[in-house]
Amino acid sequence: MERRIYAYRCRSCGTAHYPFRMRCKGCGNLEFFEFDAEPLPTAGTLLTFTHVHNLPAEYEVERLGLGVVELEGGVRVTGQMDIDRPELGMPVSGSVEVVRHEPYEDYWGLVFRAV
Amino acid sequence: MRSVYVAGIGITSFGRLEYPLAEIAAYPAMMAMKDAGLTEVEQVYVANMGSGRINHQTGLASAVVDTLSLTPAGAEVIENGPASGASALKQGMLAVGSGMYDVVLVTGAERMREVNNLDATDFIATLTHPLSEYVYGVTLPAHAAMFTRLYMAKYGVTERHLAMVAVKNQNQAMTNAFAHLQQRITIEGILDSPEAMTNNPYVAEPLRFFDCCPVSDGGACLILVSEDAMAGVDRPWVRLAGVGQATDTHAVAERTDPTELTAVRLAAERSFAMAGCGPADVDVAELHDAFTILEIAESEEAGFFGKGEGHLALEQGETCHGGSLPINVSGGLKGRGHPVGATGIAQAHEIVTQLRHEAGARQVDDAAIGFTCNFGGFGNNVVCLTFIKER
Amino acid sequence: MAVDLEKTLRPIDADLPPYPAKWVTLASGDEMVIRQVGRDDVSTLLAHVEPLIHVERDYYDIVAARVYAELLAYHVHRVQDEYVLVAQIDGELAAVVNGRQVKPGLGMSLHTLALRRGLRIGAHAFAAKMEYHIDILGHDEVLVVAESPIGFRRWMIEYQLEERFDTPHELGGVPSYALTRELFERARRKLVVGRRPVPTELLAKAQEAILPPTDPPTAPADLLAATRARYDTTGTAVMMQRRIQEQGVHDA
Repeated sequence: MERRIYAYRCRSCGTAHYPFRMRCKGCGNLEFFEFDAEPLPTAGTLLTFTHVHNLPAEYEVERLGLGVVELEGGVRVTGQMDIDRPELGMPVSGSVEVVRHEPYEDYWGLVFRAV
Repeated sequence: MRSVYVAGIGITSFGRLEYPLAEIAAYPAMMAMKDAGLTEVEQVYVANMGSGRINHQTGLASAVVDTLSLTPAGAEVIENGPASGASALKQGMLAVGSGMYDVVLVTGAERMREVNNLDATDFIATLTHPLSEYVYGVTLPAHAAMFTRLYMAKYGVTERHLAMVAVKNQNQAMTNAFAHLQQRITIEGILDSPEAMTNNPYVAEPLRFFDCCPVSDGGACLILVSEDAMAGVDRPWVRLAGVGQATDTHAVAERTDPTELTAVRLAAERSFAMAGCGPADVDVAELHDAFTILEIAESEEAGFFGKGEGHLALEQGETCHGGSLPINVSGGLKGRGHPVGATGIAQAHEIVTQLRHEAGARQVDDAAIGFTCNFGGFGNNVVCLTFIKER
Repeated sequence: MAVDLEKTLRPIDADLPPYPAKWVTLASGDEMVIRQVGRDDVSTLLAHVEPLIHVERDYYDIVAARVYAELLAYHVHRVQDEYVLVAQIDGELAAVVNGRQVKPGLGMSLHTLALRRGLRIGAHAFAAKMEYHIDILGHDEVLVVAESPIGFRRWMIEYQLEERFDTPHELGGVPSYALTRELFERARRKLVVGRRPVPTELLAKAQEAILPPTDPPTAPADLLAATRARYDTTGTAVMMQRRIQEQGVHDA
């Protein structure tokens, strides 16, 4: 089963949110959970990035690529970046993979690669 | 709202303190009580972020109020991430300003080195958004690094500018007996020499080792009082004239403009508005340089320099001791250290010392108005304070 | 008779090429010389290392105790093919590193002991060792272990050392890792830093004497402070800190 990351679109005003927030930041709707979950697009533009060397204990790699990507449609996400020579503004594509291992638990998220 | 004055101050050495967290909070409180000549405290606020998570101690304020023998005074912990200190001072100001209390003790403390470096980094990383940031291994240096890259692209800030802030602040700390780092560094050593990559390796590109503040233990305290109570105190009169706070999105990717620290701008504006003055009136400032880029960016958002011109002012020496707006003459977070809960109060401690004209070798001449910026999370919760010398 | 016994007890050292001295600029702007020393310098080194055996924090005690033993063994010819490099700032000892050749092509890193903190001196010294093994001694592989978690993070994870868990390391059979020639080449830019030759005056100052460190790591102010911190609510820890502050002693 292919995994997707979901954004939440307000039923009243159509504003898309990622990550989830309780109250729509577009219209301030006070009704609970008036959102439609929709899968985030996977294509986008790399807004900024870094390679982190001082990593949390769970990551036993020399360095970890992270980036902020603006996806088609305007939602911006943070994700891991598997690109050796990244450039600001380059087109990227994301897939949902394991991004963190903890004892007895794997966490899934977006990993972006150059197109 | 009534006027609020600073009657007493106290601070510990910052560095590695092998004492219980409650004592690290109490020690500067006792210094402050001696400084003010006051022991009748009605309310205690304790600024702290990690007591439950890394020090295995909850209800810290209850422990501190008792160890200081100040029971039955009221006591609460104020937690606002790295902005806990200024938030606690905000609560103290409200408590006295509202008329509910006359004497309030605000102390901040953190004992980060009770755990190893990896756990300390993880502890700070819990500030990030759990689902959209933390799971990816995002840390605060990672956020600062991604922000720095955009600042470099948009405004022409370079690694040299960052190194200049690091050298300025770490060397300034040599004039501060309480500072964590007591080691001179040079631009040649950290940037220009062939060995600079080993001396100053990347932490999160493009931020390097000396661009990041150290992990520290420490505590600081201010006693806030009403005008009537201040009349009985034999110390210079420094008023906490303005407090401003603003928040922004939790997930950094959702910020409207990723090169803006909107919460800093709003918090500073609100603080100045309350104090009845502006950035041009400030003589000395303590900005939150957990990462060197933040000093540059905050100096712009607070209104001291135009947007994108903070690094130019740095080049001109404006922000050095002796410049037109000395920033972080205490060493800042970079040189003084960053015990998370204590920092906001340590910044205030420095400003009050400056306004009392008791700062010795690091005194800024004729300092009359001082400003602090305490930056929580990665800019999603910022508290700014303005202090004015009265007599 | 004694001479015959000594012949039996003493290993035969291979003719290893010496380490060519180099110098680096530190973050402080200070210039540090890294050079090899011989048996004649060991007694001086022992005097500077000994106090650290009593510093019960950050693994200083165990590393210093083992370095002391290894230096002594080197001095009295009871270990084969050991080398000792020292790092000096203005003549003062800043770090001691050692290791040895196990057999042609295989080296074993023993210890890295930094006597001044905050300037990444340990990183420079460790890198110098790896350069010696691979570039100068021609080893294809160097076995490495770490006593401290910081050492582990800095070396095993940063350089992505290969596991050699089935090969016991001389420091007590703990899991060993290897820096291979291939890993070294990948990290060459980070590992081979420093400049040669050392300027004459700088080298002469270093060779003149190995001076004691002015600000070495010291034991915690109160050996019980760490323990007391967890259990003491009487406030004696506070009084201690005040006494130390008044006497002007700085905590590391």
